[in-house]
This record gives sequence, C-alpha cells and structure tokens, in this order.
Amino acid sequence: MKIDIGSYPHGSFYDELIDQTGKTRPVAKPMIDYLTNLDLHEINSRKAAIDAEILNMGITFTVYSEGENIDRAWPFDIVPRVMAASEWRHVERGLKQRLSALNLFIDDLYNDQRVVRDGVFPAEILEGSKNFRRQCVGMKPPFGAWANICGTDLVRDADGILYVLEDNLRVPSGVSYMLANRQLMKRMFPEIFTASSIQAVDNYTTNLYETLAAMSPRQVSRPVIALLTPGIYNSAYYEHGYLAQQMGAVLVEGRDLVVEKDDCVYMKTVNGLRQVDVIYRRIDDDYLDPEVFRADSTLGVPGLIRSWRAGKVGIANAPGAGVADDKVVYTFVPKLIHYYLDQDPIIPNVPSYLCMNEEDRKYVLANLDKLVVKPANESGGYGILIGPRATQAERDACAEQIKADPRNFMAQPTLNLSTAPTLVSGGLAPRHLDLRPFILQSNKMHVTTGGLTRVALREGSLVVNSSQGGSSKDTWIVEDPA
Amino acid sequence: MMLARTAENIYWMNRYLERAENMARLINAVSHVLLDLPRGASFGWDVLIKVVGLDEAFHRTYAEANEENILRFLVGDTNNAGSILSCVERARENSRTLREVLPSLAWERINAMFLTARHEFSSALSATARYQALAALISRRQALSGLLSECMSHDAAYRFLTLGGYIERMDMTTRIVDINAAVLMPRHQVSDDPALDLLWMGVLTSLNANQMYRRHVSVHMRSSEVIEFLLRDMRFPRTVAYCLSKIESSLAQLPHHEAPLKLLRMAQRRIDQMRFESLPPPLRHEYLEAMQTDLIALDECVASEYFRFENIESEL
Repeated sequence: MKIDIGSYPHGSFYDELIDQTGKTRPVAKPMIDYLTNLDLHEINSRKAAIDAEILNMGITFTVYSEGENIDRAWPFDIVPRVMAASEWRHVERGLKQRLSALNLFIDDLYNDQRVVRDGVFPAEILEGSKNFRRQCVGMKPPFGAWANICGTDLVRDADGILYVLEDNLRVPSGVSYMLANRQLMKRMFPEIFTASSIQAVDNYTTNLYETLAAMSPRQVSRPVIALLTPGIYNSAYYEHGYLAQQMGAVLVEGRDLVVEKDDCVYMKTVNGLRQVDVIYRRIDDDYLDPEVFRADSTLGVPGLIRSWRAGKVGIANAPGAGVADDKVVYTFVPKLIHYYLDQDPIIPNVPSYLCMNEEDRKYVLANLDKLVVKPANESGGYGILIGPRATQAERDACAEQIKADPRNFMAQPTLNLSTAPTLVSGGLAPRHLDLRPFILQSNKMHVTTGGLTRVALREGSLVVNSSQGGSSKDTWIVEDPA
Repeated sequence: MMLARTAENIYWMNRYLERAENMARLINAVSHVLLDLPRGASFGWDVLIKVVGLDEAFHRTYAEANEENILRFLVGDTNNAGSILSCVERARENSRTLREVLPSLAWERINAMFLTARHEFSSALSATARYQALAALISRRQALSGLLSECMSHDAAYRFLTLGGYIERMDMTTRIVDINAAVLMPRHQVSDDPALDLLWMGVLTSLNANQMYRRHVSVHMRSSEVIEFLLRDMRFPRTVAYCLSKIESSLAQLPHHEAPLKLLRMAQRRIDQMRFESLPPPLRHEYLEAMQTDLIALDECVASEYFRFENIESEL
C-alpha cells in the first residue's frame, strides 16, 4: 500500500507542504514524490529503525513526573518540514535584526537606561521585572552581547505569514535535537538527500565554539571553554553532553569549578587547578552563584559573578540577559527595533494584549474564550491558558490571577498554527507545528539553517512542547526550484 | 585536561563493566562444574555468593540458597548492587557523564548493553538461555574494550579506565583463587578430593585461562600450581601479577603518583614473598585476605590522590 497524497485534507489551515488546492508546494515536491512512491510498510519499518536508533544513541530528554525522573526517547517524525531558501534568507535577516535590537536593549537597561528616559519602555515594567538583576548593573560584556545564544520561536498563522511567538534568551535548548534529526534522516533516507538540494545544518557547533571563544578574556589560541550543566537529572542533559563533545569543551558541574583569590575561575582536574576562560552555562541565573543569587544553590559556583565582573571569565548568556526574555517585554520588541536600529521589524510579533494596561486588560477579561493567556516568566508551555479549549472554571481561575497580578500576564489571539503532513497510523495527516531557530551573537552573528521544528502529535492540538507530548521533524532549507 | 570528577566516573565505569563481565564468567564456569559433580558433592551454588563476598547480602533477602534464588540475585536483581544488571546500569549512568570523553560509539555500545541486559535479565532464565545471554554479555564487553583500546586516545582518561579495570580484575582473581576457603575452609587435606580438580578446572575456565595454563604450566590441575599461575604468571592478562604490572604502568603515566605507587610495590612484594606450596589452606586464605586489604588501600589512595580534590595542590 502507498500513501495517497490526494486524500490529504487541505484548505482548513495553512499547510507547509500542501497548498490550498491540494497540490504539493514546489519546494517539497521531490521529497513528497519520493515518500509517496515508497510502500507504507517500507516507511513504517524505516520509522521503527529510526526509533531503535534514537534509543541506542541515547537521544533522550528527561521528564519530571510523579516524583520520578523519566528518560524519554526523543520523539521524531520522518516527514521533513521544507522551506524555500528565498523565504529563509528573509527570516534570517529578521532574526539577526531582532537579536541585535534585544542585545542593545539589555545593554542599555544595565547601563544608561536611555530607553526608559526616552519614554519608550515604561519604568514600572522594569521595576516589576523578575529577571532584572541589580548585580549586573554597569557591566559591559564583550561586543555588547548579553544574549549570545537565543532560541526564537516562530509560528505561521492562517495568513501564511511567519510571526515571532517568543524569544528564549536564558538557556534555550533544542539545538542538539535539530542536529540529531538531520543525522537520523541521513542515516535512514539517504536517497532523499540526492533528490533535493538541502542546506547542511552541522556548522552550528563550529559557530557556537567561535562565538564562545571570541569572548575569552585571555588572548590565547585555544581558550578553555566549559559547559556548565546542572547535571544528569536536567531535562536537556543529553544536549549538554552532545554540545560539549562536538565543541571539544569540558562538561562541568558547579562542584568542578572554584573561584580563587585572584578572581579567576578554575576547574579541578587530576593535574590540579586549570583556568577556565569562557563558561557556556546551562543553569538559570538564580542558581549561578550562591554568593550573589540564591544562597541555597548547590548547582552554581560561589564567586562566579565576582570573577565575571572583574573581567576574568566570559559567561554566555550573560547573567541578567533574561530581562528581555519576558512575555511582556516581548510586546515591546517592534518598538525597540525602531528605537535602536531605526528599522521596521522584518518579522512581525503576534498581536498582543498587555494586562497591565487597563484597556487591554478589560478586553482580555471579556474575551478569555477567544485568547491564549501567558504568564510573563514561564517556559516549556507551563501555565498557559488556551481560552477556546479551557473549561469555564479554568477561565475563571485565570481571570482571578490576572486581576491579582496584571503585570505578570499577556494575551494573544488563538492562532491557527500552520500544519504539515505527519506520519500517523495509516498514512499522513496534518499536524500543527512551530519552528525554533537559534541565533548566535558575539564578534559575529550566525543563524542556524532552519531550526528545530516541533509538532503536536495529537490531532488538533496546538501544544508542541516535547515535555507535553510534542514530536519533532527535520527542517529543510531547500534551494527554490528554477 | 581531565576533571577529577570525570576521572572518578571513568574509573568506576570500567570497574562496573569489569565486575559484570567477571560475574558472568564465573556463573557460566560454575554452572559447568556443577554439571560434572557427583551427587552429594561438598559444594554447590552457594560457592558463588561466597566467592564474590555477597553471601550476607543474599541471606538478608532470600530464604533458601538454591540455584534459582542465587542466580536471580547475582544476575538480574536490581536490589543487589553487585548483580550483573546493577553493574551494567551503573556503568551506563557513569558513562552518561563521559560523553565528551569517550568515543561517541562507546556510549551507544554501553547503552545497548544495558538495554539488552535489562530486557534479558529481568525475568528468570532457563539454563540454556542464561548461558547464552551471559556469553553474549561477555562478548559485548570485549567488543567495547576493543573499541576503547583502539578508538580512544591513550590519554589520562584512558589511564583511569585501565586503572579501574585492572584493580577490579585483580580483586576478582584473588577472590577466585580463594575459592578453596569458600568451599572447604575447615579441612586441611584437600588434594585427594576428586571434585576439587573439577573445581580448579572451573576456576581456570572462568578466567579463560585453562588453555594457557595447560600450554605454559601443566595438563594437571594441582591446586598449588594453579594458584602459583594465577598469582604470579606475567604472561596471562588476568593474573594478579599481570594486573599489578598494568596498574603500575597506568599510574606511572599519571601525575603525582608517588603515594599509590608505593602501595602498589608493597602488594607486589607480598606476592613475591609468598611460598604457596608449603602453606596450609587456612594460611593461604589469610595471605589472600591480606592481598584484598592491599587492594582496598590502593583504591582508597587513588581516590584521595585524584578524585577528592582536597589533596591536590593548586599550581598557581
């Protein structure tokens, strides 16, 4: 039996691969032709081989559930998401523009605060920000870049336009899965890669290494780079190990590091103490340094902020960078792009209502059944209310929370997220998805080729987070057909 | 540049792997021996738990020391930290933190070893299935050792790997040589028990040493000669003397090795000075226990010298 692409439902959502009339979009044609020529049995057996490969390679993420850490195999769908290179070049410019503005904004907040004095960004939002770190005021990280690694979530609405959904500037994860997805596709469907001209993704780790190395305070040919992980129980531990391995960095935990009297950071090696130049930390600000932030943190390194402030170590992302990773700050990004760069935003924001503004709040409370409400500082899809799918009791509870702490909430219209064909039992069915590209900034800027596509496996579901039953796809940037 | 914590993890990863392999060898060898024994022989399955020093732990959980219980305990019981499955699982947990140090294929192999072990060992096995599953585990470990030896730089990480492996192997060999004590501790005259020849054959088989013993020493299994071989032979890679020489060469290539090397030389001297032929079994047992004590001291010294950071001088 073969897949009958003719019976694929079309027209009710924007589909990435199939147009409104049911025709395969030109960029995806060689791939869809290839898949629909394979026997369904053959496709399923390759899918099973991929799943076995994922288990053997140990590509996992950890979910904390019912008091236990469960290591889950990385979920993967074999049908790639395909984008045209011409569209991607536009997106890439937009992402660089956005991160440049965000870094100028963070640097400004911790230094002159021109943006507040000029009345572009309200002082009361800054005062209420949980992620603004007083301890970082006056710092000037190298190249003015605070967020060196950013994961920006993009979604496509029914109008076919890509919007920015959020910017992850704290410790964004997922890039190793993007790399693993490509590796899996190449191992299992090598033939497809000869049929299309698909851009490679694996320069990411080299770019990441160079981004970090450029931040070294010591001018040495091979600075010592350490990836600071909370340990094996962290949900992204697989990624930490993978990136360290690919960069030739040392994977360290807080207890492996020590700050000495000279304010330098050292790691404890079998040969004694060795100086560390740059730390790629995958630990939240709160846990980074018990001398400065949470005193009960055992994950961090006492004195790390002192060392950083003394210019003895580079830290990516810079402590405090999370001030711009806030769903309320998000709503200001288009204005910030105008303010700092004097440019129009290349990729638009999703229209948003800020509950701290009285007028917006009234609208949100009156229209909870139509809106998605998000708390300002949560990640992983936690604490989100999807109005049209919630019960009245859930909406009432949400309304109470908004009234109690308006600064902490924003709302957006429920988007009709685009879909793409996804393998389900019996063939292909449309499932909703998003896209997380990663953007790097220190001495240069880099954007991943494509990014991590996450897909909601349940029919009709809009929740793509892997911690909540989402899957993923390989993402192809393909030269436009002539 | 080797983190102290990483060194400790790699050391223990290989100790666990070696322990799992040795246990599998021992179980398969003893199974063979027991098949040849006459009814009412002087020893049985309980020799296994005594040799590996887990008889007390066993009796805390199990009432009867029969074949089924003992094998469940030693193979797939995750409540027993010394079972094969527990060892492979702990090796895998350790190797998880070593992905940037080990060749990436090594992690996949250890992970696959664990997934297979969990699948095969979690339920009771027939004698045939058990033999095959254990033999398969041994060959997977050997493939892994080959991979590590041939595809990994012989750097500091590799020294800690070999250090852990040989310390664990020496531990097992001394325990196995002491099998006499486990079986027949009270008696003085042992050489006329025909079952014992079979047992020594089993001992050599468990160490894969039987062919090499015959080639280099004798076709007869006399206990004093077998012991002499297993302790002092420098050619066979599972003897105590061989393990000590490998531990020595691994230490020699690590920094600040004076203290552990000193302990190692003490253990070597003890073996050199022993005269087994003239020793009655109870005294042999004491000597072998003293060697276990040497080994524990060495392991302790390696830990404080390299893993626990308080002893490492800052080189600022």
